Amino acid sequence: MADLMTRPDRELEPDQTLAERLLTTQSPQRPQSTPTIRIEVDGRVLEGLEGQTILEVCRDNGIEIPTLCYEPKLPGFGACRMCVVEVEGEAHPPISCSRAAEPEMRIQTQTDELRRLRATNLELIFSDHNAYCLPPCQNKCPSHIDIPGFLKQNAEGNWRESTRIFKRTIPFPSVLGRVCPAPCEEHCRRDEVDEAIAIRDSHRYAGDQVLKAMLDDGVDPPIPFEPQVRSGRRAAVIGSGPAGMSAAYYLLLAGHEVTVFERDPAPGGMLRYGIPQYRLPKVEVLEAEYESVTRLGGRIVCGQALGRDFSLDDLQGQGFDAVVVAIGCYDTNKLGIPNETADGVIDGLEYLATATLGLPYPGHAGKRVVVIGGGFTSMDCTRTSIRQGAAEVTLVYRRDMKDMPASGEVHEAIEEGATAIFQAAPTRVLVDAASGRVTGVEFIRNKLGEPDASGRRRPEPAPGTEFTIECDRVLLAIGQGPDLSWIGPGSDGLTATKQRRLKADAVTFATDRAGVFGTGDVRIGAATVVQAVAEGRRAAYAVDASLKGLDLSAIKVRQTLAEPQPEFLSIVPFTSEVKEPRYRMKAMDAEVRNKSYVEYELPYSPAEAIAESTRCLQCTCEAIGFCDLRRLGIEYGTTLKTLEPGHHQGAGYRSVTENRFTGVNHDYIRDDSHAFILREPSRCIDCGRCATVCAEVVGAACYDFMRIGFDTLVTTPLDMSLNDTPCVSCGRCAETCPTGALMPKPRVLQKYEVDESRCILCGICVDACPYDALRDGADFELAHTSRAEPQIDLIALAAVNRETEGTYIRRERDWTERALAAGRTIDPGRLLPVLPPSIAARSGNGQGAGNGHGHGHDASDQHGLTGGGAGASRAHHQ
Amino acid sequence: MTRILATPASWPRILLAHADAADPTDLDAAVRAGAFDALKTAIRAMTAAQVIAVVAGSGLRGRGGAGFPTGEKWRAAAAASSTRKYVVANGYGADPGVQTDRTLLERDPYAVLEGVALAAYAIGATEAYVAVRAEASETIRRLEIALAAAEEAGFVGPDVLDSGWDLQVTIRPVQGAYLLGEETVLLKALEGKRGQPEQRPPHPTERGLFGRPTVVHNVQTLASVPWIIKHGSEAFAAIGSKASPGTILVQLRGPAEAGIAEVPLGTSLRELVGLVGAAAGGAGDRAIKALLVGGPSGGLLPPDLLDTPFEFDALRAVGAHIGSGSIVLADERACIVDLARLLSRFCADQACGKTIPCRIGTRRLSEIVDRIAIGTPKPTDADLAADLSADIIGSALCDHERLATLPMASGMRYFRAELDAHLLRSTCPAGVCHPIAVAAGTAH
Repeated sequence: MADLMTRPDRELEPDQTLAERLLTTQSPQRPQSTPTIRIEVDGRVLEGLEGQTILEVCRDNGIEIPTLCYEPKLPGFGACRMCVVEVEGEAHPPISCSRAAEPEMRIQTQTDELRRLRATNLELIFSDHNAYCLPPCQNKCPSHIDIPGFLKQNAEGNWRESTRIFKRTIPFPSVLGRVCPAPCEEHCRRDEVDEAIAIRDSHRYAGDQVLKAMLDDGVDPPIPFEPQVRSGRRAAVIGSGPAGMSAAYYLLLAGHEVTVFERDPAPGGMLRYGIPQYRLPKVEVLEAEYESVTRLGGRIVCGQALGRDFSLDDLQGQGFDAVVVAIGCYDTNKLGIPNETADGVIDGLEYLATATLGLPYPGHAGKRVVVIGGGFTSMDCTRTSIRQGAAEVTLVYRRDMKDMPASGEVHEAIEEGATAIFQAAPTRVLVDAASGRVTGVEFIRNKLGEPDASGRRRPEPAPGTEFTIECDRVLLAIGQGPDLSWIGPGSDGLTATKQRRLKADAVTFATDRAGVFGTGDVRIGAATVVQAVAEGRRAAYAVDASLKGLDLSAIKVRQTLAEPQPEFLSIVPFTSEVKEPRYRMKAMDAEVRNKSYVEYELPYSPAEAIAESTRCLQCTCEAIGFCDLRRLGIEYGTTLKTLEPGHHQGAGYRSVTENRFTGVNHDYIRDDSHAFILREPSRCIDCGRCATVCAEVVGAACYDFMRIGFDTLVTTPLDMSLNDTPCVSCGRCAETCPTGALMPKPRVLQKYEVDESRCILCGICVDACPYDALRDGADFELAHTSRAEPQIDLIALAAVNRETEGTYIRRERDWTERALAAGRTIDPGRLLPVLPPSIAARSGNGQGAGNGHGHGHDASDQHGLTGGGAGASRAHHQ
Repeated sequence: MTRILATPASWPRILLAHADAADPTDLDAAVRAGAFDALKTAIRAMTAAQVIAVVAGSGLRGRGGAGFPTGEKWRAAAAASSTRKYVVANGYGADPGVQTDRTLLERDPYAVLEGVALAAYAIGATEAYVAVRAEASETIRRLEIALAAAEEAGFVGPDVLDSGWDLQVTIRPVQGAYLLGEETVLLKALEGKRGQPEQRPPHPTERGLFGRPTVVHNVQTLASVPWIIKHGSEAFAAIGSKASPGTILVQLRGPAEAGIAEVPLGTSLRELVGLVGAAAGGAGDRAIKALLVGGPSGGLLPPDLLDTPFEFDALRAVGAHIGSGSIVLADERACIVDLARLLSRFCADQACGKTIPCRIGTRRLSEIVDRIAIGTPKPTDADLAADLSADIIGSALCDHERLATLPMASGMRYFRAELDAHLLRSTCPAGVCHPIAVAAGTAH
């Protein structure tokens, strides 16, 4: 660039063409040249332009210096003191946003001293940050559902909208509403008031209403995002379990053609063959939920097994551009004890495959059954055996009951008539020598030793405590691994991990074979349904990106950024709420249900469902994912991990304002009066960006620093409503706010009309709109506007599941209709959200960021004002 | 009006040389006493560079507290290329307990105006502002009379002394807070903006008022300049200490007496407290316990440091600073923790609110001292205060936040035993900190 800017040394040659002369002649208005300077930063020599600040030079060269108050459009302000750097030979560290880079400067940006100063500043901010971030429930959900979001819709009785929000991260609310272990509920903050919200039962109810409408009235289930136009690319998904079908669902939404191959006669995988009918009705719930995939155009081909009926070569030969292997885990682990293969020892999964459908397993009635294991499979084996008339059912687990993965169901099983024995491990299977049939199992008592890697105490056999349980049948349910025997000729190029799982990247899901991806249990081992769904969804986005020809290493960075980090800020203890216990779903009597395959839990009434969802405290900050304070807090270790076990008992800090500097903090009143901009001053960190942007860029000057000392607050004059200021509702303040103190609320914006008879093409709307809803068209260029700023594709952002400002826009209904009516097309180049240049460069993909900027799209594709505007009679911003 | 204390006859009088004039605004009388002689000499016989050389040679340092060499400031501003430059005289007197700047403006307005004109001549400025406390109506009245008379006589205004050089001087009453002592805050206030400091560099000599090169001086600095031009740099350099020549106005406050005195820099604190009758190491029948040197953000010094010379570098070395020129004597009735608490809270409350370490950090520091004073400290509080102070200083924007840590830091440095009594034993030896004192039965 620098070379283009300088005046050519030589005189113009007379034989130059006109074009060459135009190219080498500089317009008189432009600076003829800007001298370049070199500085050394963290040992790297950087080139910058004279007059640039240290921060600007570093940013241009991909070195990130943290800052909270820097606004790129304006000169450095210097309030947050986060961008301090060390300049060799200077006693006090200057701030890089205000300090001009001088030639030969030697700068350090990440010394221990600087990091300590920044951490102290962050702690000081947090000590007066009377606010909260990510709701713990959402954080702990493997798929990170927007739980407060759907509960809010539930509370208003909007079951369909609630389901739509749910489907953004999990396509099957009714299925998960029955089979999810609900890790979210363990961390619900309502627990501090009275009892946790029944999150699972709430989405179950909403999902059921949608299924009911579909089955009774033929209403399509809601679609979480506007489906994108058909890409013409084909994807094959092998396996129709929760992972495979979730991958199929989100691939279909991304516009690809999807065929699902299923080994068994009917789709569902573990959902169909591993979970009993009484927990998950197959026809009413499972098949109905899977219709949301087929209604989007997904094909399911049953009775086709990988390795038996087709190979990966076949699929790729048939023109599938991507193959997703999601075949799950079906190989039950071996006990490794004598007589394990005796007649009467049955693989629990094999048993369930028949029994879960309600079909009697041959000769089960009247038998004495021992079930070995402690997971959900063992529980399903136990309870199904009871329903199939087994004379006696004994469940044996090697650890303590509280360490049992399915401990929640134990009481129900015991109520239904099972016996449960804990801390015992099988030593051998007893066999009748004549018939070869099982007569019993010998066990040894376990004592509990030191905690192992999972935090549970390791069972150790206690010699001399052997005992025997007589039985006719043994059901093994001690965990499963994937069957990888199909890897080989025709399906070669794949490898297994040391744990005997399919090797695939945790973020890009790419296997060692090009075009083949692995996800779900086959990759991570037997896990919960919700983990499988999360796997499937993430795999779908990775496959989508790969089908669009994007660099997988860039996807890796993007996905890593997009997924909420496990660490999060704690929230202010909530004590003022009126106590109101949880609404529990009622269950049928044990005497009735232990003979029945009918779903034993009785659903909520609508009033109960609404009441339960209304209990949600809505602990969410809408700025999550955009909040610089949170990002830096995590980076500098000044956030808290209060949900970790030790803290849950009241130890340690409980609120974000608690750290070494805890003292008085401000609790400001939320200003909800303005139609489009929400002000939450308690989240304000007084960086002053809104004040400067509003005054210097917009010209309205709605905000300024008020009061002095600790009580200083950037606010409106006298803290009055924004309605009483010269606010033009441009949203620039909300856009620049580094936290959630100023937020757009376009949900309220139902319709926005431009009266073109009065438009003077000034372009201010185009300039000011923070959402790029209005744009300049091809025949209309704004001379004073620089479009060099990155444009973020909101659809793409939603696709990577960030709780974004896009979320607000996306609260609308009926995307499908609008999409069809608008014939919307999306430039694939726009699908990557903008990466910070530093990260894009680090990932070795300079184009990654460039893709996101998306210059020069066809403006007519935008559902907004098309520049010259003569053609468009009205622009609706719906 | 504040009393002017009697000083030894051997001490030179520069700033208060004309303090006894019957009517300080009488220009004719002032001119008869030598006012504007220096300006005439400079304009008629000296180049701007020569004026700067004389001032630089005198070793004059800024009286606003920081002690920056005046000559260097002028050189930088003179070298800056701009069609418009400014001189700003800070007569605001930010410390609410100190009247020195006001006294000077009221007793010798012509010395300040002459200093302004000389500074403007030296750096090539055509506009100057004299900032003065808006509520000081008598000061403003006298300044306005003096300015009108000086303009009438051609000492300032258009075509100064027929030299063809214009100098427009404006008196600007400003209202605000303690922070106006910080030069970039004062400039913001003069621009009509909220008084918040700006990052330096760039220094105001490069980018100051309205973005133009500007020299900002305390009025005492400017009032010293005519004397230097008149008597020469050697004569000035011979007064006071070698590193900090000249005289300065101090405001002394003891249990018995209080007042303003012009003292040579480098005079020992012992001599200064002697001016208010506390020379024998005691004030009346009570022993001196501590000296607060430098105003609200000053340092608390013990009596064994009474031999410290009152000048920029020596005070800084012991953990105080010249600041507003205020010296307050605390006798044995005072509690150091209580003093540190009041001062820390004052500084925190006066923060402009711009930066995080200042808005929240100084407040948290004051809360720590509060906790210690009321007997509810955390075991780590002493270390926390030290760590926090270090980090505030490390990432500070302006001197206010750096100096706001000083009362607590110097208190901890020199009076650790008294602090520990509060911290470890929840007792207040002086019986001042009430909840503790009542509990321990030591309250008066």
